[in-house]
Amino acid sequence: MDISRPTMEVATASATALIGAVVCYGALQNGISWADGAPQPGYFPFYIGCLIIFGSAVTAVQTLIRRDGETGAFLDGARLRTVAAFFLPIVGFTLISGFLGLYIGMAIYVFYAMLTAAKFRLHNAALTALVVVVVNFVIFEKLFTVPLLKGPVLEYFGIY
Amino acid sequence: MGNFGQLMDGFAVALTAHHVLIMIVGVLLGLVVGVLPGLGAPNGVSLLLPLTFTMDPISAIILLTSMYWGALFGGSTTSILFNIPGEPSSVATTFDGYPMAKQGQAVRALSLAFSSAGIGALTGVIVITLLSGWVAQFAMRFGAAEYFAVYFMAFASFIGMAGGSPFKTLVAMMLGFAAATVGMDTISGESRLTFEFDELIGGISFLIAVIGLFGLGELLLTMEEGLKFEGVKAKLDLRTIFRTVAEVPRYWATLVRSALIGCWMGITPGGPTAASFMSYALGRRFSRRGRHFGKGEPEGIIAPETADHSAGSCALLPMLALGIPGSATSAVMMGGLMIWGLSPGPMLFTTQPDFVWGLIASMYMGNIIAVVLVLATVPLFAYILKAPFTVVGPMITVVCVIGAYTVASHTFDIWLALLFGLAGYVFKKLDYPLAPFVLAMVLGDKAEDAFRQAMLTSDGSPAIFFSNGLVSTMMGLGIFLLLLPAITALAGRIRSGAHKAEAA
Repeated sequence: MDISRPTMEVATASATALIGAVVCYGALQNGISWADGAPQPGYFPFYIGCLIIFGSAVTAVQTLIRRDGETGAFLDGARLRTVAAFFLPIVGFTLISGFLGLYIGMAIYVFYAMLTAAKFRLHNAALTALVVVVVNFVIFEKLFTVPLLKGPVLEYFGIY
Repeated sequence: MGNFGQLMDGFAVALTAHHVLIMIVGVLLGLVVGVLPGLGAPNGVSLLLPLTFTMDPISAIILLTSMYWGALFGGSTTSILFNIPGEPSSVATTFDGYPMAKQGQAVRALSLAFSSAGIGALTGVIVITLLSGWVAQFAMRFGAAEYFAVYFMAFASFIGMAGGSPFKTLVAMMLGFAAATVGMDTISGESRLTFEFDELIGGISFLIAVIGLFGLGELLLTMEEGLKFEGVKAKLDLRTIFRTVAEVPRYWATLVRSALIGCWMGITPGGPTAASFMSYALGRRFSRRGRHFGKGEPEGIIAPETADHSAGSCALLPMLALGIPGSATSAVMMGGLMIWGLSPGPMLFTTQPDFVWGLIASMYMGNIIAVVLVLATVPLFAYILKAPFTVVGPMITVVCVIGAYTVASHTFDIWLALLFGLAGYVFKKLDYPLAPFVLAMVLGDKAEDAFRQAMLTSDGSPAIFFSNGLVSTMMGLGIFLLLLPAITALAGRIRSGAHKAEAA
């Protein structure tokens, strides 16, 4: 499964153009004209949105015209898997942190990453996870007194 | 001589034991950030910023700027020893630094890099000392229209002087503006582009964008490329260091040229990365030994390093004096100033002289501390980098996720950072520049306010942007810069046309 660079260029330009359209639509809701001698709140964002669409359109057209130029691969299957294997656990980390708090989230994430990506042994991975949690707890809760999200489990044990 | 007296007062502020300690901590943190690929200066400063909210502003800015110096120096270490630039701005250092290190002269390469970097940085700071007060005084006459013209010029120069596609720069920049408008409108109080999402009413913090784009995006890219460290061993001995430092003055022509390029690129928003590449290219063209560039030439190390650091420090001049940052990192710092309740710009020099001159004085000290510390810690960081990236990567991820959360204690922000991370990864691979995005996000509100206020005073007539000599000159320059890519393309076509005509 290879994704070619021109394909990705056009896809990205379409995505940015879509964002531009959303910005224009949102600006229209605020009003883009002049009222009482002053621009309405949507005036400035509307033109920003138009410029995004303009820039995206030119980029897409340039890619399509210069088809012969850059035809290299953007991403091949193996690389896509590497990136996904790194990114998906971070999504999991964020998801778990939302429910159980950042400390439990980071413990599970570090444990998993050390076990699979870094190929640590079970007890070494667990130890690393513990060290990361303790170091972060000391830095944020004690040194800088910036509380991180605790979640229900830590609160149950009386750690705020 | 007013500046000199104020600088001395500044030294009195900066040279307390407390502040020197902060500088050392900042430089060390910066070195870590600079050495590790995936953690860069803009991202490092963003991560540290939420922790400074409770500090007093002068200590906070000294911590952040010291971290910035450390990151600039740290980036060069990995470039030379591992052929892996820790920072985008030290890519050009790998061209000659790594070959020289491979020839067994790692210490010479490092000493050359650090001493020329130190000279570059000090040149930059001297330029700031001499010019900032003057620029600020000049800017005191600015009204809303003039401010908009300055912003316009800054953004136009990004598009005009961008290396890649000007349209991609335009898209990146306008996306930044759009992101800045999300949330409550400061003038009317209406909520904009929030589409009924409660989480978006407070707006999108530029810190989240930086952590995603520069932090997570960079990590994904590094992971994909399958990073392997193939280090060169470096044993430091003082004799080689001193001999190399004594060798540096011989390259005075390269030093002067590179420092000038750096100062210029730093003040105009070209940034350190562009400066170091340009300086390397010009160095190769002007040097008598230009043919040998790329094989471990001393001048090939001195040129990019000097320019990188003088641009890095000069980027703080427009931030302080005009409220317009010259690089992504200084954009983040300026955001910090606003969060601490200071408004960057010419008024800062009259209302907060202690802050401004304390900061400038700390730049002299911070860079000297950075040179010493970076030499002292080379063996330590060479050791850290032996750890495989599959271990280091997840640790950096944890730091980024926590950093995204600490900005405002919202889990929603972590999701946003992940989204920005994916966007940053794709944008980087497709050569969209990221610095204009961050700059537009930080300056978006201010540029829009200036525009709307100017239009209010003129009753909606755009003629106000050409109402006097100063503002018309700036707008004219801005328009010229915008059209620069088109002009060069046209000139190139005419010239090639002429060649064809001659041939026929």
